[in-house]
Amino acid sequence: MLKKLLFQTSKTPWIAYFGTWVGLSFLFLAVHFLLRLNSYGNDSETLKSNVMILQKKVGSSATLQIAKTDFDETDLELLREISAVEAVEPVINNNFRVWLETNDRMLPVFKTDVFLQAVPSNFLDIQSPDWQWKIGDKKVPIIMPRDFLVMMNTFLSSSGMPQISDELAMQVNFKIRVSNGNQQTWYDAKIVGFTNELAALLVPKTFMDATNEQYGQVQKTKITQLMVASKKGKFGELEKYMNENGLEAKKAQVLIGRLKSIVSTLLLLIFAISLIALVNAIFVMVQYLQLLLSRNAYNLKVLLRTGHPHTTLIRIFVTHLFVQFSILSLLALFTYFGIKILIDTIFHQGGIYINTDLSWETFVVAFVILAFFTLAVFLTARKGIRQLFHS
Amino acid sequence: MNIFFKQIIPHPLKETINPKSDIWNTNCEFNFGKSYIINATSGKGKTTFTHLLCGFRNDFSGTLEINGKDAKSFTFQDWSDWRFPKASFVFQDLQLFPQLSVEENIKLHLKLGTNVSLEKAKSWLAFLGIGEKWQQKCGTLSMGQQQRLAIVRALLPSYKWLILDEPFSHLDKENTLKAMQLIQERTEENKAGFILLALDPQPEFQANFHLQL
Repeated sequence: MLKKLLFQTSKTPWIAYFGTWVGLSFLFLAVHFLLRLNSYGNDSETLKSNVMILQKKVGSSATLQIAKTDFDETDLELLREISAVEAVEPVINNNFRVWLETNDRMLPVFKTDVFLQAVPSNFLDIQSPDWQWKIGDKKVPIIMPRDFLVMMNTFLSSSGMPQISDELAMQVNFKIRVSNGNQQTWYDAKIVGFTNELAALLVPKTFMDATNEQYGQVQKTKITQLMVASKKGKFGELEKYMNENGLEAKKAQVLIGRLKSIVSTLLLLIFAISLIALVNAIFVMVQYLQLLLSRNAYNLKVLLRTGHPHTTLIRIFVTHLFVQFSILSLLALFTYFGIKILIDTIFHQGGIYINTDLSWETFVVAFVILAFFTLAVFLTARKGIRQLFHS
Repeated sequence: MNIFFKQIIPHPLKETINPKSDIWNTNCEFNFGKSYIINATSGKGKTTFTHLLCGFRNDFSGTLEINGKDAKSFTFQDWSDWRFPKASFVFQDLQLFPQLSVEENIKLHLKLGTNVSLEKAKSWLAFLGIGEKWQQKCGTLSMGQQQRLAIVRALLPSYKWLILDEPFSHLDKENTLKAMQLIQERTEENKAGFILLALDPQPEFQANFHLQL
């Protein structure tokens, strides 16, 4: 009865509804993808943040074997003397033949020659307890170059198979065959992580040392890459040394970092625009409430004079707008969910496998905005009705 | 639950106050359970009196005490508790909802909580001769019919004080007497008191006190 009395003549504020829905939808999307973008790659990177891989620049003189592309102990000592360098260790390569193939009923057989590399564990940031190997173990943990996964997905697509994500790839069983031409051994292999920095499969150093000793075809493998950990804030000094001595680091991570930065800026811009649109929409809805109070001034005065508690009247207006805003928030969450699926699909098709789970932070944002709106409505309704009380 | 007017002078009446008033600028106590008829000509502050007791205005000097508490210290909640169910009012401008039917006006008030049933309310309306207007929009009723509806609405709560501001101004003698009979019966049932403000002296009405405003 009270609702009929107070809301029967009110016009629906469709523009405010539309603005709220659009503002909330884009805000949720911006929050979600900002979080996902910032965490992209964080959980699968294997090298510590201050670690990079150095190699000598390969020019035509190197191809003609006039210039050296490998490092010797002198090179390592010179690098260790630089104050910006915290630690230097060689990246160890295999000097025997290695094949990797899928060993899973769910996937077609995929077989390829691969290279292995190993680095001391103090350069790695691997959380998996499986990242260990000792002589006698039949199972080898491996860290796969992300480019390798892209290549596998290309193969799967051409075979009419669905592509696999990082998470799914970590469930697939592989086999590694090592051979020196005379003897060979099979090992089961499992992916425990991915890397963007290395082009070869990363294996535990214990495995590399053992297999190099058993199957190695030369006495000593050449060191073509170094793992260098720089001291914080002293990268410039190291970079100067690199330029002067014809050394280079992989640029992919720099490129990914720059892309993340650009997309983050764009998402922040969308976030800001959404927030402005939402604040405006909330402002219009609060004005709609003031209009309702103004149109109902006579009814409210009579209700107050005939004994209806002001708290009941405030509650009716707050509940009315709370329900409307909750419905709009739900619609915006569904919209966010739909667009998120669409964007995830586009990313997936483009070979970018971000976490596709709904982010709980988005729901927290929705709850905070709803609470803020409810508070704004409550304060406006209380002020308006209290003013009528004595008028 | 007494009402005490202590040296009250409403600001708008400062210049025109009746020096012989039993209420303004003197001490006047309304004792719980008693009936009062206050007579005043136009402009002497009948509506001001009602609005002071209703809590709508506090532009006065002096002290208004309700149940021993200074009304100026009342919170919003105190006033809400006073207006329903402790006091009940018939306003001069009636304060009905013209867009709602008679039934809806009654039901809206019954929702606040009372010992009166919907059937009882209907019987009171019938007694006052507007029983057949049950479904009619209140705004389409005559002033006399609206006045009777306002009286019935005011009788619904289990009030302690009933304050009536010129409740019979649009009623004929027969309906006035019927309304007064209903008011007295309901007030006795509630073991309450009433204050009736009227333009003219009402010698035919029984009351404990007849006062001048």
